[in-house]
Amino acid sequence: MFSITTYFSAEALLLLLVTVVLYACLPQKARRYVLLLSSYIFFFSISGKLLAFLLFSTLSVHHIGLWLSTVQNECSISTKGLERDKRKALNAVYQKKQRRIMTFACILHIGLLVLLKYTPFFSQNINALLGLLGLQFRIPVPKFLIPIGISFYTLQAVAYLFDVYRKKIPADKNLLRLALFMSFFPQLMEGPICRYSDTAEALYEAPKMRYDNFVLGAQRILFGVMKKLVIADRLNLLIQNVYGEPTKYDGFVIALSAVGYTFQLYADFSGTMDLVIGAAQMFGINLPENFKRPFFSTTISEFWKRWHITLGTWFKDYIFFPVSMSKPMKKLTTKARKKLGNHYGPLIAGSVSLFCVWFCNGLWHGAGWNYIFFGMYHFLLILSGNITEPVVVKITQKLKINRSAFPYRCVQIIRTFILVCFGEMFFRQESLKLGFKMFGKIFTDFTLKTLKDGSFFKFGLDRHDYLIIIVSAALLFIIGILQEKGICIRSSIAKKNIAVQFAIFYALILFIIIFGAYGAGYVPLDPIYAGF
Amino acid sequence: MDERLLEILEDINPEVDFESCTTLIDDHLLDSLSIISLVAEIEEEFDITIPTVEIIPENFNSAEKLWEMITRLAEED
Amino acid sequence: MIYIKRIFTVIMFTLGLAGLLIGSSYIFLPKSNGLNSGIEEFKANGILGEKENSIDVLFIGDSETYSAFIPLQLWQEKGYTSYNCGTSGQTLDYTEVMLERTFEKQSPKVIVLETNAIYRKFTVKNVLFTKVADYFSVLRYHNRWKTMKLDEINKPAEYTFTDECKGYRLKTLAKPAVKDNSYMSPTDKILPVEKINRQSVEKIKKLCDENGAKLIFVSTPSTKNWNYMRHNGIAALAKDLECEYIDLNLLTSEVPVDWKSDTVDKGDHMNYFGAKKVTSFLAEYLENTALLTDKRGNPDYENWDKALDAFNKMLSEQHI
Repeated sequence: MFSITTYFSAEALLLLLVTVVLYACLPQKARRYVLLLSSYIFFFSISGKLLAFLLFSTLSVHHIGLWLSTVQNECSISTKGLERDKRKALNAVYQKKQRRIMTFACILHIGLLVLLKYTPFFSQNINALLGLLGLQFRIPVPKFLIPIGISFYTLQAVAYLFDVYRKKIPADKNLLRLALFMSFFPQLMEGPICRYSDTAEALYEAPKMRYDNFVLGAQRILFGVMKKLVIADRLNLLIQNVYGEPTKYDGFVIALSAVGYTFQLYADFSGTMDLVIGAAQMFGINLPENFKRPFFSTTISEFWKRWHITLGTWFKDYIFFPVSMSKPMKKLTTKARKKLGNHYGPLIAGSVSLFCVWFCNGLWHGAGWNYIFFGMYHFLLILSGNITEPVVVKITQKLKINRSAFPYRCVQIIRTFILVCFGEMFFRQESLKLGFKMFGKIFTDFTLKTLKDGSFFKFGLDRHDYLIIIVSAALLFIIGILQEKGICIRSSIAKKNIAVQFAIFYALILFIIIFGAYGAGYVPLDPIYAGF
Repeated sequence: MDERLLEILEDINPEVDFESCTTLIDDHLLDSLSIISLVAEIEEEFDITIPTVEIIPENFNSAEKLWEMITRLAEED
Repeated sequence: MIYIKRIFTVIMFTLGLAGLLIGSSYIFLPKSNGLNSGIEEFKANGILGEKENSIDVLFIGDSETYSAFIPLQLWQEKGYTSYNCGTSGQTLDYTEVMLERTFEKQSPKVIVLETNAIYRKFTVKNVLFTKVADYFSVLRYHNRWKTMKLDEINKPAEYTFTDECKGYRLKTLAKPAVKDNSYMSPTDKILPVEKINRQSVEKIKKLCDENGAKLIFVSTPSTKNWNYMRHNGIAALAKDLECEYIDLNLLTSEVPVDWKSDTVDKGDHMNYFGAKKVTSFLAEYLENTALLTDKRGNPDYENWDKALDAFNKMLSEQHI
């Protein structure tokens, strides 16, 4: 009966409301249980009995964390007062033991994720390969139900264990605190991917609800709903048509819908993040930001520091640096630096790690060649950026171009945006073949014919739809510029008198109610990132 | 502060005033590649091992912080 | 003290919001009920434009309904006035809305509820939305921002449009059904009606009783939507509610549907030829109830003759 499919549903809103009311009324000790219970209800209403997977992961993380901590304690006790050589030897023994535990933990947690998410993809491809080799033998293609948010909470679990292993944080004895960290319902479905040190303590403390936090959170939630209902859901009318049968449309329409999809993805995902972070703020919990005006980026590498930030930093901390700081890579860097200098020397090790990051990044988004292509596309873009960097610096110096001047940055921003749009086009198009066809059409079949004869406005969006999308985009753009300048809009609204605050709330609510793409004739967009 | 460390840093990015800057990471003056380079160089120069857990902005934001980390790691070893 | 202030703020905010919603609902309410007025389902809502207390029979349900009952044929054969309020994918919560709207201006004597709608799934959420949208109609009509003109805003709503076919939708194409009459092979199994659907039907029954209308369940012929399990389910419901139930799928001699020529989409919906048979049968049935009077020749109902002429002209244009 009570089932949730997206954060933007009456059921999810109801759950949030009930939780907020209970949280506000109950004493601190009960509050943490309210949060945990709501989280499990939320999970259960999406994935039902698959809740067992989350519970298993929580218990396993708790246990392995304590196991690591026991080994670490034994180590420090038995090495106390020993001479340097002996201490080092003993340390190495314990280090080895810890490493074995970590290997086991990774196989367990990441293995489970891979098993559920990727076996169908792998077995399909193995079968295709067998077919190519002319063999009759086929392996079965299983189909699993995937617990909601497993891609997100598995990364949190692994990060926690690595942090314990690296002695960045002590292992947590408290199962409740860990369970809260693993399951907190606002962030369960689409992130942000949190670190234990970010949220666990605050969730367990369950701070008293404060009026100002409540108002700020509500503002942010409304803003997120606006992005989702007005922009993402409305754009869907065009996007699903064009991506469904791209061969029917000319290059102009495809180019436009590629831009449209990038914007839709942004509105959907960052809108969800506004809702998530806003909801957490109501409870007084600060979640890390996932977006920082990504479309103001001047390079692809900067773009990924502003888009899905928590995923990027996760890959940086747990893949990029571990790979590039591994012993063989370090040796390689030292040698290469002497021969190739300061820029190209570390680039070799850096590129190997970068490849690992982007291969995993692509695969993390889903089991499909389009996602792997997407990862490799960004890997190559960042790599070529790194390779050409010194050359570009030299050329611009010779031509006396100021690289930090506004016009130069504008050109960079536009270039980066176009590159991102191409990437997202392949990302959205499940069939890589069709993706390339669309790419080709943009350059070979670009015509404004449909715009002139008016048929352009019959592909799903009419003139009015475009108008409202442009108005909303302009609104986001202005807000983005203000935020880039360091102005915090929500808290400056909160400082205004009550009439102004009411007016802003009312305006936003009416804007959503009137211009939202809901009701007869609209199909809401499924949450994109929850599928990853 | 150690002269050798400053030399290494200036070698990597000659345009920055490492003696006073305290936002090397936060302002993107040291990018990931520079960090790879820096770690390799420091390890060789000072004969220490910098574990991955130490690679956090707090340790790399200024030359002073870097030096603190180096001395700490040298003692621990 | 601070709590009282906070609670007061929340109440003020809610009141202000409700006021704004009522105001914008007034602005967004369609000012007429025709094709481009912004009203939902304008053909079915054409009933709002019919003369007061002029409709005696109401057909209501989903697309099965507007494909199978021809009000103007009923007028031609028996002189009964009727309107077809079928809408695509209608769920019972909307059926309730349509009935409530109708009873405000009309006092029909017979309500024919097509049974496919009784099984159509809907949720508490749908009901809530429908109920809230009844009070704050801006939720239902918000899309009118695209077509609204400034001078409309202050105009009072005047519903004068009525559909030329009285809600029936003419389809003459024929695509033969794959299944034949075997789709109604008898069984004792019952497909139960969901609780929420049942509650809604009970409400509809009560509404009809209060307004002095007789509620009849009719299952129109459909190889795709109907079977014996569903028949049993509706028969049981009809018995509980003391309603009459007619399953045309079983009356193969009274309504001899030719599944090769009488369906528009392989057995899902009736086309004109199937609908003609269904309506003829129902005309006889309604006559036998002795609830209705023949209004042909009554000068107050002259426009029905005109509508019939137009309908016949439409048919002859389609060479029928």
